[in-house]
Amino acid sequence: MASRLKNQLLARVFTAFPSLAARWGKTLVQHAGEIPWVEPLLPLAKARIALVTTGGVHLASQAPFDMSDSDGDPSLREVPVDTPREELCITHDYYDHRDAESDLNLVFPVERLKELVERGAIGSLYPVGASIMGHIDGPHLATLQEQTAPLIARKLVAAGVNYALLVPA
Amino acid sequence: MGLVARAIEAAGIPTTALSIVREVTEKTPPPRALYMRFPFGHALGEVGARNQQFDILWRAFELLFEADTPGTIRDSGLRWKRENYPDPDWERFRRLGPVARPSHPR
Repeated sequence: MASRLKNQLLARVFTAFPSLAARWGKTLVQHAGEIPWVEPLLPLAKARIALVTTGGVHLASQAPFDMSDSDGDPSLREVPVDTPREELCITHDYYDHRDAESDLNLVFPVERLKELVERGAIGSLYPVGASIMGHIDGPHLATLQEQTAPLIARKLVAAGVNYALLVPA
Repeated sequence: MGLVARAIEAAGIPTTALSIVREVTEKTPPPRALYMRFPFGHALGEVGARNQQFDILWRAFELLFEADTPGTIRDSGLRWKRENYPDPDWERFRRLGPVARPSHPR
């Protein structure tokens, strides 16, 4: 519990001072390897868009992300985009999510994307948002890379998604 | 997040990602990232700032179609709490789509 409090306080400091976040970023491991590439061929107005967030958003009825593991929790929560706001919450001690709690669009912009669908700018929004938490480290990086990320990808392919928007926390 | 974007793109779906810490994104670049030097938890901007949120989404989708190099990190140039965001131009949104490029003729 004390360490969770410490992480939450640190998250507030990092949120207030982006230069600290930049310094932290420089300490991370460089991921080599080829970056995949697919040409976007459909106009946005005809495309089915999926939303992926690393903001730790989940249904209140789902198990929260595990905050007791300092390497994070690499598991996936599927969040229907039509979920009423009061049934959603954020479990993620590594960023200050007080603002995101008051406007979930900051990390999970479903309201804006739905409005873009209504305005005819986006063809459709895939009705299930994919939510994970950032701050994955240690052995869980392999789990994310080898299991969770391919699982998300398979689900989006199966759903006929054309483009994916990824939002960090 | 770069790892997830790469997995989705590798499965055949073009991705566009937001980035708020360039140094983090540079360590695991996704295929396309739009960088804003915003605080953690504020990738879309400020609370209730609807125009700002649409502006960032417009830039993210513009990048989806304009980027031509894997690992592109485009600096939005947006300054935290120091920009004015106009009402969304829906017509401009509706025109977003593939752009002709000399290197990728179609």
